[in-house]
Amino acid sequence: MRSSGTPRSSGTRRPRTRRRTTAAALASVLALTTLAACGTSSSDGGGDDNAADAADAGSPLDPRTKVTLTIDCMPPATEKAELKQWKEDVEAFHAKYPNVTIKGKQTDPCLEPPRFTAMLKAKSQPDVFYTYFTDLQQVLDNDGAADISAYVNDRTVPALGDMDPDVLDVMKKDGKLYGLPYSNYTMGLLINRPLFEKAGLDPDKPPTTWAQVRAAAKKISALGDGVAGFGEYSAGNNGGWHFTATTYGLGGDIVSEDGTKADFNNGTGKQILDNLKAMRWDDDSMGKTQLLKWGDLQKQMASGKLGMFIAAPDDITYMVQNLGAKYGDYGMAPIPGQKATLYGGNDYMIKKGVSSDKVKAAIAWINFKFLTPGKGQFDWARTKADGLPVGLPQPNFWTGRTKTADDKARATSSTMPVANFKAFTADPVQGRPEPPKAQEIYKVLDTAMSAVLTNEDADTGKLLDTAEKQVNQILANQ
Amino acid sequence: MTTRTLISPAQLARPRGKFLYWTAFVLVLVVFTLVFIGPLYWMVTSGLKSPQEFAQTPPTLVPKDAHPGNYADAWGVMDLARLLGNTLYYALGALAFQLVFDVAAAYSLSKLRPVLGNVILGAMLVTLMIPATVLVVPQYLTVLDVPIVERNLVNSPWVIWLPSVTNAFNIFLLKRFFDSIPRELLDAAAIDGASPLRTLRSVVLPISRPILGVVSIFAVVGVWKDFLWPMLTLPDPGKQTINVGIYSLAASVTENWLLAALVIASLPTLVIFLVFQRHIMSGLTAGSLKG
Amino acid sequence: MSAPTLSKRQAPPPAPDSRGRGPWRERAAFRQALKRNLTAHGFLVGAVLCFSFFSWYPMVREFFLAFEKREDGATVWAGWSNFTYIFNDPAFWQAWRNTLLFTGLALLLGFVVPFVVALVLNEFRHGRGYLRLLVYLPVMLPPVASVLLFKYFYDPGYGLFNRMLGAVGLPDQQWLQSTDTAMLSVVIAATWMNMGGATLIYLAALQGIPGELYEAAELDGAGILRKIWHVTIPQTRLVLSLMLLMQIIATMQVFVEPFLLTGGAGPEGATLTVVQLIYQYAFTFNNYGSAAALGLVLLVLLAVFSAAYVRLSRVSEE
Repeated sequence: MRSSGTPRSSGTRRPRTRRRTTAAALASVLALTTLAACGTSSSDGGGDDNAADAADAGSPLDPRTKVTLTIDCMPPATEKAELKQWKEDVEAFHAKYPNVTIKGKQTDPCLEPPRFTAMLKAKSQPDVFYTYFTDLQQVLDNDGAADISAYVNDRTVPALGDMDPDVLDVMKKDGKLYGLPYSNYTMGLLINRPLFEKAGLDPDKPPTTWAQVRAAAKKISALGDGVAGFGEYSAGNNGGWHFTATTYGLGGDIVSEDGTKADFNNGTGKQILDNLKAMRWDDDSMGKTQLLKWGDLQKQMASGKLGMFIAAPDDITYMVQNLGAKYGDYGMAPIPGQKATLYGGNDYMIKKGVSSDKVKAAIAWINFKFLTPGKGQFDWARTKADGLPVGLPQPNFWTGRTKTADDKARATSSTMPVANFKAFTADPVQGRPEPPKAQEIYKVLDTAMSAVLTNEDADTGKLLDTAEKQVNQILANQ
Repeated sequence: MTTRTLISPAQLARPRGKFLYWTAFVLVLVVFTLVFIGPLYWMVTSGLKSPQEFAQTPPTLVPKDAHPGNYADAWGVMDLARLLGNTLYYALGALAFQLVFDVAAAYSLSKLRPVLGNVILGAMLVTLMIPATVLVVPQYLTVLDVPIVERNLVNSPWVIWLPSVTNAFNIFLLKRFFDSIPRELLDAAAIDGASPLRTLRSVVLPISRPILGVVSIFAVVGVWKDFLWPMLTLPDPGKQTINVGIYSLAASVTENWLLAALVIASLPTLVIFLVFQRHIMSGLTAGSLKG
Repeated sequence: MSAPTLSKRQAPPPAPDSRGRGPWRERAAFRQALKRNLTAHGFLVGAVLCFSFFSWYPMVREFFLAFEKREDGATVWAGWSNFTYIFNDPAFWQAWRNTLLFTGLALLLGFVVPFVVALVLNEFRHGRGYLRLLVYLPVMLPPVASVLLFKYFYDPGYGLFNRMLGAVGLPDQQWLQSTDTAMLSVVIAATWMNMGGATLIYLAALQGIPGELYEAAELDGAGILRKIWHVTIPQTRLVLSLMLLMQIIATMQVFVEPFLLTGGAGPEGATLTVVQLIYQYAFTFNNYGSAAALGLVLLVLLAVFSAAYVRLSRVSEE
């Protein structure tokens, strides 16, 4: 999984788009497609060359079309197996569309915020470029992505109907679609199985409520030798990011439905902070080192010093590939509370202003490599044969029959004890996107998180009051 | 030392004075060694420990069994050869650009004195008044898309080299030194028919060796120690400097490797320093005294 | 002081051309002047181009940026809205408080400690080279190495400092993790990293004090402290004040140390500094306008100190 090497904690990233109702957005895509197919000029584009081709935008790429496509996030040479698969797929694609040349660019990691910003500012992105779910607003601010609504339908992307509408929704703004997903994740509770066993806990029945998390953390930290039961971030905006995920788990919200007011200064918010404070100071089950950010907890867990933390499944891949951990040592549980969870991921967008043939070729390639069950990145048998891990619950943006089939294929080729993730996959928690102005809000919430974790006398009520006032200000300031 | 200092030699010569002097001296010697060498010792030995021994409490003073392999691992995993190579490349390039452009500019402003020369010098010196960190944002936006030439310099060595020339302090130091070169020396060369360039090369530069040394040290150390600018403008991991590269990899390697990497990263400048310590220290005081 | 060649007065401007008059000669003189000027500007062109692109243009741009914002793919005039934004940001005031605290502490430690160290070192007749070398050693380390070292030392769990406190029976400290000590911890690390330069400069200045002054003071029966007060400090006043201003200017721009030690904000934002906030606005929130606005505020404040510095260094040349 290419994305996994990147500390893709959205906690280190930028604002995102506002939430939309899924159904309406999906409907508008369909409507647009129909309109486009009928030859009616849609409200699309705004005068660039795409408009002229709107009539046949919805039809798949004509195999005779001659196009050269540049695309980033090709696996680097150090990831031999992934690179081999990429090349195989390019070849297979070429056999199908002999006139399309795919020119991959190795960017490792795929996306780094400063480089990404630079690229958008200079409009130097390749025809097809990799972004995080949270990047859409920034891309649009820089006029960087083509509206592909008219091009994407179940003829060009056959599995579209079974794609998780929440995921597609992330790449839309004002009903227009700007990207196609590559990978996604939702947050859950990552557990260290050997430590669970050592502490006399059942790793197959991981905690599902915060009370249980607290109890388990206490037992694990009682092992001594510098082992902490539970770990949490409180720096680099990562603390606010996790506060958000935790709030979602308990059914709370960060920002009110209409996006104008903070919505965390209540029982839920207080419960979260009080609980962390109790674990840190009353139980002393969170270790002494705080002000941690992405990468720190992974390190602690990989070295066997940490029992649990809130994470996404690809954190495991990161620990295995970079920190010498073993897949079998970890399990995932749904986020405590299970009311909802934070999701994120990455996608490909198409540069604004490229010819409609390029857009079509791009969609054909993305569909071929990333969105076809049993093919490309979902060819689990090949992944296993190439010695790469199979069996992690994500990326998984399928629903319905496609999901059933894909889950089965994963299980058949799995290279790790899939049962360890049963608690996480059996009953998936509804995903929710980040709040508007996410990074600015996270910065404010970081303060509250660092306060409870570093100050024994922190007043959680007062912290939430202050944070609420500041977030209201941020929201009023837009 | 012949200079007379705070405490009179007579006082020191008395037995009590002698005793106090030696007590203070030994105390300072021990404390300073601990404070300044101690951390380095800790860094080197921690880099030799196994991850378990590193995490052990209480820590061991001397590694129980040394793992010199950590250094090799860190070297390979973090690709330190490349990071060090990059930094050296940027530093030497910046040095070359500064030596050529800044020396030429200072020479022109000092000896050739063109029309508007003072205005240009003033405009250069004004940049000293603008805090560097304030300029980072507009400078960053500029290198993303340099006006007129319309180039994006990000991830290219130019993004380090060219802005390094805008070192008004170095120009100022050089100009002041050139000012102090007697006019007659240059006039003599001019009468011999030497062009300004030749005069610069064969008369001015040879007697300017000390100040060129100071400027060179500033140039190289400046690039070597810079953090924010290379972090912003060289995001490509293959092009990063040693500082930024280690920072961005710090989270993804084990502690003992990280410390081994820090030792390796510190070595080049430390070695240079130990070899040229006299020049560097006298150069730095000379250079910074008169700002 | 220690660089006699530098303190020589500037060469006089070239004498006006006095070789006769008349149209022919005038034209020749003009041609010569033109040639001289072209050559001179030729020497300047590299530096001037670099300054134009990477210094002067960004300076101008800074002012414009502060009054601009991005809206749906276009740059629009923002009026004072970037400024209202930063003044309304509670982090703004916190960042200023922290920065001033840092500057204050840094002056207490970073200004006084090197002077005292220089005073002490200057008295020794032995091992001076070694001690000087020691003090300067950290200056030559890559900042990432020094900062990460301190991060390990400060760790309240396994860190070396708490071990040492424990060994002498003192209670554990939270160091970077408490609002009370976080900034102090950053300052201690910064002082260790940077004090070498100042110490060497003070040492050089101390060596420039004529010995007779001390002898004269002794004849008046002055003790050590009085000698420091009446001889050493007045004699080094200029260097001291220059260094003071330089340190104020430098410490108010502190970035790397808190950025690497606490990930920026620290406990409850206790180590968030102004430059940290500029960085955050620009590169985390992509709000270049507010970053530029905050930059302007910092610029105005530091301009006062810079102007004082320039004045003082003029004085030092006289």
